[in-house]
Amino acid sequence: MSDINVLVVFYSRYGNAERIALAAGVGAIQARANIRLRRVADHADAKTIDATPAWRQNLDRMNRDYVAPRPADPQWADVVVLATPPESCAEIESYCVLLPSIGSMRGKIAAPLAARDEESVLKPIYASAACAGMIVIPAKLESGDPITGAREYGQRITEIARSLKKLSQV
Amino acid sequence: MLTLRKAGDRGHTDLGWLNSYHTFSFGGYHDPKHMGFRALRVLNDDRVAAGKGFGAHGHRDMEILSYVLDGGLAHKDSMGEQHVLGPNEVQAMSAGSGVIHSEFNASSTSATHFLQIWIVPAIEDLKPSYQQFGYPSSEKRGALRLIAGPDKSSHPPAAFINQDARMYAAVLGAGDSVDYTIRPGRYAWVQVATGAFDVNGVALKEGDGLAVSDETALRLRGANGEESELLLFDLA
Repeated sequence: MSDINVLVVFYSRYGNAERIALAAGVGAIQARANIRLRRVADHADAKTIDATPAWRQNLDRMNRDYVAPRPADPQWADVVVLATPPESCAEIESYCVLLPSIGSMRGKIAAPLAARDEESVLKPIYASAACAGMIVIPAKLESGDPITGAREYGQRITEIARSLKKLSQV
Repeated sequence: MLTLRKAGDRGHTDLGWLNSYHTFSFGGYHDPKHMGFRALRVLNDDRVAAGKGFGAHGHRDMEILSYVLDGGLAHKDSMGEQHVLGPNEVQAMSAGSGVIHSEFNASSTSATHFLQIWIVPAIEDLKPSYQQFGYPSSEKRGALRLIAGPDKSSHPPAAFINQDARMYAAVLGAGDSVDYTIRPGRYAWVQVATGAFDVNGVALKEGDGLAVSDETALRLRGANGEESELLLFDLA
């Protein structure tokens, strides 16, 4: 078993944030982490979702592939990837705000990630994660291709978590 | 030496949507005496309820084979592969450096029964890959049909796996038999998928497994009124 646990939490309507979340998850596995993948629920009501067929279709599919985060998940995790689409960070921000009420998040790594690497979308998530006592590591995707960038980010945050864990054991 | 692993002694997980029997330690079932056999690490006998399945999750460094006995399995992974697998097909996924996948019952009305097999690869950090191919069921009737092995160009075609291991399937009627020669230094595992067999005088029923060491040959004989199906693993 790996020494690092990475919880990949994402919110996605049309699959873009899901893709970067999966890429970050694959990167974490490549860096030999254990991972869990979770999708947070929509804030929008069913009527709003139904009005956009592509949203409804993707939601039905994603509800099959992923479960919502469970209270034990952030406690298990050393790293929490928080992936959001550029059009709405409210769902991920709400999840982040909720985290301290589940248990102490102090010293865990928060890894916010946006489908189009837009820092302005991520700022509320940075703030909520920092308020929860988490160590925020901005994505700063180095590769031009967002999928490759997210995968490399998944590797990097796992390696950082491993280094921090070793330091804490000295 | 032949060592029987009785079906009733296997680990068991019942999640409502999943009824799974574990020949070797898996998930919440852990028995240090049953951690695998040679490179064969996992052999799960899974029944998945209609419309249900295994959500997205990750693996690395494992050769994962799915062998459907009844129903269909819908596969999707982070390599972009999306397929439905049925009986007389084999799915071989090499997790290599890392892959995320989901497996669901492709039917919304009936259960799926399949065997999930994990083989430890000889090399780590390989590029992930996915293979799926079908074969005529006649090729495994009364014969051992190679399903997966380490040869990239076997005839008839078989899935390539990154390990010195071969998986065969056979369907035999009552009294029908096939012989298999075990080369010196090799081991074998026999798993009864359906029905019943007699293997070198040992009676096996559905779900039973047989670890084979220091033997030179196997005689596999169908012992059921109807057809019986088994998997044979030839292992280093």
